[in-house]
Amino acid sequence: MLFETILTYPATPEIFLLGMTCIVLLADLFIKQQEKKITYWLSQFALVGTAVLVLLLYNVPSTLLFNGSFIWDKTAALMQFAIVAINFFILIYAREYIRERKIPQGEYYLLSLFSVLGMLVLVSAYSLLTLYLGLELLSLPLYAMVALQRDSTECAEAAMKYFVTGALASGMLLYGLSMFYGATQSLNITEIAQVTSNLSSGQELMLIFGLVFIIAGVVFKLGAAPFHMWVPDVYQGAPTSVTLFVGTAPKIAALAMVVRLLIEGTPALVHQWQEVLILIAVLSIALGNVVAIVQSNLKRMLSYSAIAHVGYMSLGLLAATPDGYASALFYMLAYALMSLGAFGMLVLLSKSGAEVDKIGDLRGLNTRNPWLAFMLLLVMFSMAGIPPMVGFFAKLGVLEALIGAHMVWLATFALVFAIIGAYYYLNVVKVMYFEEPEIQYPIVNRPIINVAISVNCLMVLWLGMFPSGLIDLCRAAFAM
Amino acid sequence: MNLAQIFTDLVFFSFAAILVGSALMTIISRNPVRSALFLVLAFFAATGLWILLEVEFLGLILILVYVGAVMTLFLFVVMTLNIDVEEQRSSFVRYLPFAIVIVAMLVILMVYVISPGHLNPSELTTTGGQPVNYSNTTELGMVLYTDYAYPFELAGILLLVAIIAAISLTFHGKGNNKTQNPDQQILIRREDRIRMVKMQGDKK
Amino acid sequence: MLENYLPILIFIGIGLVIGMAALIIGALIGPHKPDAEKNSPYECGFPAFEDTRLPFDVRYYLVAILFIIFDLETAFLFPWAVVLHKIGLYGFLAMMVFLGLLTIGFIYEWKKGALEWQ
Repeated sequence: MLFETILTYPATPEIFLLGMTCIVLLADLFIKQQEKKITYWLSQFALVGTAVLVLLLYNVPSTLLFNGSFIWDKTAALMQFAIVAINFFILIYAREYIRERKIPQGEYYLLSLFSVLGMLVLVSAYSLLTLYLGLELLSLPLYAMVALQRDSTECAEAAMKYFVTGALASGMLLYGLSMFYGATQSLNITEIAQVTSNLSSGQELMLIFGLVFIIAGVVFKLGAAPFHMWVPDVYQGAPTSVTLFVGTAPKIAALAMVVRLLIEGTPALVHQWQEVLILIAVLSIALGNVVAIVQSNLKRMLSYSAIAHVGYMSLGLLAATPDGYASALFYMLAYALMSLGAFGMLVLLSKSGAEVDKIGDLRGLNTRNPWLAFMLLLVMFSMAGIPPMVGFFAKLGVLEALIGAHMVWLATFALVFAIIGAYYYLNVVKVMYFEEPEIQYPIVNRPIINVAISVNCLMVLWLGMFPSGLIDLCRAAFAM
Repeated sequence: MNLAQIFTDLVFFSFAAILVGSALMTIISRNPVRSALFLVLAFFAATGLWILLEVEFLGLILILVYVGAVMTLFLFVVMTLNIDVEEQRSSFVRYLPFAIVIVAMLVILMVYVISPGHLNPSELTTTGGQPVNYSNTTELGMVLYTDYAYPFELAGILLLVAIIAAISLTFHGKGNNKTQNPDQQILIRREDRIRMVKMQGDKK
Repeated sequence: MLENYLPILIFIGIGLVIGMAALIIGALIGPHKPDAEKNSPYECGFPAFEDTRLPFDVRYYLVAILFIIFDLETAFLFPWAVVLHKIGLYGFLAMMVFLGLLTIGFIYEWKKGALEWQ
């Protein structure tokens, strides 16, 4: 009976993860261990357990908990599962990397677990208060993780930039939220949605004013233009194991914030936020794709590509149809998977003292290790949107939604820039296959990571060939 | 408008003037320590405003936590850094035009939105006129640990993360620094330190 | 309710007036004849070699931030203590979970040695 209650209580994954994180903390403190094995395995157990709980809860109908400040629905379930699964891979990739570079391992695992907890809270937050707290719980460990490698001044600089811009974004978001609260006199998304559907003009003006700040804050966190300044510096400056973390799962959580605040919170103001999102999408796609071409640093190039991808994702949102939202969610999940593969590959190829972060470092990867080169090829093709990779279906879905919403000019624009953007992804492939290797030392053989990255990259291919399952899940998340 | 109302307004405007003035001085003051002290004044003025709104608990917490603890932290941070005042000054002037443009835009927008023409004051709920035995602390407690228990626990988790993050970033670990142990220093014997070596001296 | 705070306001006013008066009268009446020698820094007859304000050790920062965290904890305890008999077991447990989380943080500090001033 009790067991059954636990398995149908929608907050169980969060509570389990919190409890396990505390156990990991205590275990890390009190058990003497070699190379933090116990901490690592306990962290992985925490993530797997959470993922299993989310799966078990998937069919529980939509419920509001904790006085309406927590929601459990299909959107939350799908996003939570994706976040936890991605972090499972991240810990596998990062383990060797942080051990070789003397990054405090216990703290890395702990902070990443706390950040995951923050993402889960954010994804299922349904009041302005929990939304903000979830966002802070997500970001705070990230700032610390970027600076965790203490002997590196680059990391310190990246952490500083990340923290200052992040704090500014939080401030703007909070200001916008306070405007929302002032106009609707409620913190609850359900009530805000009710109030906004019939407004006086004065309140509406105040809401739009708040909306601008909220969008600015959210766009900051998503890392889209014109609030993208921190993205390249943080991606490049942070240790690759942390870039891997920053560049994948938090984006999904940030998308959840958009879904809750804009789509579910203020459907009445759809025309207003649609216009802002058009501007953001156009700027991000143009800037991301064009500036990425001239980058010689691979992490920096991928960061500009991240800006462009967020732009494409927001195309789905601004279509403002359930299909559009589903395509945006699909795009984000696909992007997180591709980004995980790309940064995971950089982590795998790097060796302490010889970081692989320039495009030139990949020269002749094919002759050094044909399998890994092929895996990276899959990811690059997918990012460029070449069929039959998942990236192709992600772009296709977004463009379909746009055409469905009669915004053909925007779809054309996006398509043109997708072709421009393909250049720099294919350049990486060219460097891997058609140039002579410069680096002679062998790639360190790490069987577990090799298997994980192969699974990761083959998923990119597999989801591209059979995308219907995931598309259906995304559609179910936004079924009205 | 009766006398009490006028007096309350007077108190409000004087606290508001102190708040805005000291906030401005926080930004434009040359000396970082002075900036921090002006921030203290700003917090005090904000406390006054909050008590005027009859939320005494939050006002007192502002003094207890912000003036008492956060400002200590700010002062420590200012003192751990060697801030070159002149350099700071030059960048201040360099970015001033952008800052003015952005602030002007924000102020215009805000005034436009909150102006009486657009925002009907009667649409907003007002506080005030609470009975003498009204306790803001009780009201807060009644909802904070029941209706808002979930955000409350999240705040607890955030504090835990702050502890871990602060320690992992600033603490260098036990035994890394060269401390002296007075016990051992006192217990030292001559035999541990000096070895008498018989040497054959040069004979002339 | 506000009238309860009137004595405090008067107190602040008197405090301000007396404090300011002392400074202003001092500045107005006191002799003020600076010259170059008086204004120059003095260090055993030499001009100062370096800035006299040495940067603090970063450990002070750690102590301050740990203090803030537990200061906030006490801030949350105040309203809880006032209404404890009204909010029942639920409110009691909510605070116990909160305190439990911070106790884990405290154990972490202790065990890591962050509380020791070496």
